[in-house]
Amino acid sequence: MHFFTGRKKVKKSGSNRRTRRGKWIARGYLFPSAAGVLLFFVLPFLIVVYYSVVDNPISGQFVFFDNFVMVFQNAAFQQAAKNTLTFSLTAVPLAVVLSLLLAMTLESKIPFKSQFRTFFLSPMMVPIASVVLIWQVLFHYNGMINEILTFFGGEKIDWLNSSYAQVVIVVLFLWKNLGYNMILFMSALSSIPRDIVEVAVLESATPFQIFWHIKLRYMSSTILFVTIMSLINSFKVFREIYLLKGDYPYDTMYMLQHFMNNTFNRLDYQKMSAAAIMMAIVMVIIIGILFLTESYFGKDVEE
Amino acid sequence: MGKIKKGLAAAAGLMMLVAALSGCGKDRKQDGTAENGREFVYVPEYADLAVSCDYINSVTAAGDYIYFVGDSYSGENDEYRGVLYRYNLLENQAQEIMELDEKSNKNLSSMAVTQDGNLVAVFSKYEDVTDESGEIVDSKSTLELCRISVSDGSVSDAQDITEKLGNSEWAYVQYMCADSQDNIYLCDGDGGIYVFGKDMQKLCDIKVDGWVNSMVASKEGDVYVQFYGNGSGAEFRKVDLAGKKLGESITVAGGNGFGGNFFTGVSKSILVSSNDQVSLLDISDGSVEDLFKWLDVDVNGDYVNAAGELSDGRIWAIIRDYSAEEASFELIYLNRKNASEVKEKEEIVYGAMWLGSDIREMIIDFNKSNDQYRITVKQYASDDYETGLTQFNADLTTGNCPDIIDLSSIDFHQYASKGVLEDLYPYMEKSGIQKEEYLENILKAFEQDGKLYGIMPQFYISTTAAKASLVGEKSGWTLTEMLDFVEENDPENVFDYSTRTSIFYYCIYNNIDEFVDWETGKCSFEGEEFIRTLEFAAKFPEEYDYSQEREEGTSAKLRSNKLLLLQTAVSSVQEYQMLNGVFGEEVSYVGYPNNERKGNLIQPANGSIGIAAKSKQKDGAWEFVKTMISEEFQDELVSEHGNYGFPVKKSSLEKQFELDMKANYYEDENGVQVESAKTSWGYDDFSMDIYAATQEEVDGVKALIASCEKISGNVDNQLVNIITEESEAFFKGQKSAADTAGVIQNRIQIYVNENR
Repeated sequence: MHFFTGRKKVKKSGSNRRTRRGKWIARGYLFPSAAGVLLFFVLPFLIVVYYSVVDNPISGQFVFFDNFVMVFQNAAFQQAAKNTLTFSLTAVPLAVVLSLLLAMTLESKIPFKSQFRTFFLSPMMVPIASVVLIWQVLFHYNGMINEILTFFGGEKIDWLNSSYAQVVIVVLFLWKNLGYNMILFMSALSSIPRDIVEVAVLESATPFQIFWHIKLRYMSSTILFVTIMSLINSFKVFREIYLLKGDYPYDTMYMLQHFMNNTFNRLDYQKMSAAAIMMAIVMVIIIGILFLTESYFGKDVEE
Repeated sequence: MGKIKKGLAAAAGLMMLVAALSGCGKDRKQDGTAENGREFVYVPEYADLAVSCDYINSVTAAGDYIYFVGDSYSGENDEYRGVLYRYNLLENQAQEIMELDEKSNKNLSSMAVTQDGNLVAVFSKYEDVTDESGEIVDSKSTLELCRISVSDGSVSDAQDITEKLGNSEWAYVQYMCADSQDNIYLCDGDGGIYVFGKDMQKLCDIKVDGWVNSMVASKEGDVYVQFYGNGSGAEFRKVDLAGKKLGESITVAGGNGFGGNFFTGVSKSILVSSNDQVSLLDISDGSVEDLFKWLDVDVNGDYVNAAGELSDGRIWAIIRDYSAEEASFELIYLNRKNASEVKEKEEIVYGAMWLGSDIREMIIDFNKSNDQYRITVKQYASDDYETGLTQFNADLTTGNCPDIIDLSSIDFHQYASKGVLEDLYPYMEKSGIQKEEYLENILKAFEQDGKLYGIMPQFYISTTAAKASLVGEKSGWTLTEMLDFVEENDPENVFDYSTRTSIFYYCIYNNIDEFVDWETGKCSFEGEEFIRTLEFAAKFPEEYDYSQEREEGTSAKLRSNKLLLLQTAVSSVQEYQMLNGVFGEEVSYVGYPNNERKGNLIQPANGSIGIAAKSKQKDGAWEFVKTMISEEFQDELVSEHGNYGFPVKKSSLEKQFELDMKANYYEDENGVQVESAKTSWGYDDFSMDIYAATQEEVDGVKALIASCEKISGNVDNQLVNIITEESEAFFKGQKSAADTAGVIQNRIQIYVNENR
């Protein structure tokens, strides 16, 4: 018994050494990426959390949740949140649905498929600064769109300085993003097993039934991915608006990123951080809901 | 155990975080001039010049000697005396070479030292050209090249070279030097280089395609020219005598465009003294060694007249103090020492977008006199303002904030409300400085919530003047009152040289708060007043036509009511007297339109500064700040003609007023004391002699000072940018005033909401 126990002990101890050594080696390999994550993701996030609970970055007095309350009650923040939400709720579904329709269209047997594909992808290749210049010319008060409007007897519209401003931004967003989404959907469509579709056709399923019950189910993860990407891109529309109208655009174009960018420039890091954290929380919730939806609709496909 | 490890890791992470976020300023200790951890530093040593003269001209250096012309003026005889000196810098001794004949209209223009230690010089002579009746119709200059013996001052081989320099009417020599073969190089102000041989005969001339910044002989005995080529930028080239042309462009480390004065080097080819620093240039490889910054050796780089190297390794410089009323020259030797040998001082960092010349002077004086602290300067906006401001903001939040903050070019309110600035009232109290001794309204200009965040030593007033008979006796007006007044009187122009933009900004720039209620967050740019202002401004031309002939000057127009208002500054009682003269009758200083009728604005003169709340050297910073309001400094600002502003200390201001009221007298032929003019002032077509100010005039200035509450130019640029951007479409006739005002209202409302 004693011998057996002793042997067992020796064996266990050797195994532990190897395991420990293996762990240290693993830690060594993990260290660079762990340090990178800490330094470039965790630390900045903690800094943002720190700034969100102090009165300002210079005096650094702890004020608990005052900044969150102040930012939440701020009329500019409310306006920015409303605009961002409106924009995302309009632009993201449109970007998903339109690009899906385009992908479906290009999948069917139509002439000039390749040319159409290139046409829709071309906005991705144009640098954003030059795109904005073109859009400025198009939507300027004396721009091409208004020239066309007046030619047909319409009134001039101050596109970038009126409630129409968000329409311009939605169009710009769709123009920029449809091509990319479309390619993703085309790839998803091509990966749907043909035999299932063929069986459905043999079973006299209508094209709508095939689309709704088969294709959409198989593409659910791609739809989720495209939606998340479009959602993230919808927040990035600030770049285009900033290039069009600077720090303070017409109120319908004023986004959360404007609020954060401007408060950063004015050393109001506390406001910026509180707004960023609130925005992050909302994003997490939205993405969580999207994941839940995807797992609900796509579970039978995965099974 | 695992929990402990996790705890330790979290603690380490937190420490990193705290380290990253920790407040301003590490404790800094620094020697006299050591910067950026340099091993060697330069320590200044002052010497009195061994000659007595008022002005020093044409300084030429050769080894340990310099040659210059010392001019002095004798008031008794009303005579100038000019002497050519040879100065031994190692022994600080002067030798008089020759006396220059000041009555002959002949000046020693330039000179160079030849290999035998004698001089070659160019004299310029100005002559009047008369017509047949003997009336002066023109003047011309002639140039004479000659040799001067250093031992006895004798002049030889003199010859007129005017014709040889091409431009016979106004020939001029800007730079002169001699190479190792004693060939003489002359450079005129127009890009022409003329070379004369040892025998004084012209060898060739070389045309430089561009503007010549400097010509200098190197240590090796060659001559180089730095010029800004037409289209090619700054170039540095050797004068190739054999090829009678300029040699290939030499690439200098850090670019060829470095400005400054060039002097023949001793250890390296050429010594370059810019207004910022001293460097040595090695021509063989184009390398540049920066020796020191003038500010680090307590010298104002703008005042350096000449500089060079000595054989014992020291650097010499002749400094002229331009800040003093009378010219004074100083000789400075800069000794290279190990940084460890120099007494350590505690460092105070002065942060400024740009360093003003007055502040630079004060810092130099402080560093010279203070044994405990030394101020170093960090200029943020040397390249461009936006980059500088970003860096400044980054420094504030990352723990590198300067100890003293120059408020001249930053939005003081923004930084004060962020807690960046320290309240200075407790420091004043601690130092026994009573705030009642200073002009309260001027101090209050830098106040916020009862705390004093900045100090200015001196100020002047930005205002608008108008005839009291037209505008009434008032010290302020609202925008509506101003517009009513101007439209009722309907003059040719509201201001001289007025344009649409200038009128528009006159109306709103210092008055933006009228359209923004920061308390409630409501903006009123859509209101009648703003729309009226836009429409009013649109009546004026887009640009003033400067080519049109002015039949009358400003004063004549004001007197005949063709001009209604004069935007001006009042910086002294004498200027106030002059402005009253410009109008020819009683003047009302109504200031800029303002809803509180407080449009006379305080403009800091001589800089304005505050202390960083996170500074670790607040006491040292205060030592410097308090010098600005010290009795001694404030009294120094009192000057016979006003010192470009009023002192903020009441007692010093009273001394200024007393001086302004003190009359000057002269004795006439009957022995009677007659009041004489103190000076004369002019404005456009108007000039007048200024006599002692009357009590009424001084009271007028006092009332004007008392009417001021706000600082000029403290306007939120973001608001101005939005207004400028959107009003453009209206001024171009593309939109109606109401539509424009609507867009401005919309955009500014966002800004206002964001900042509440």
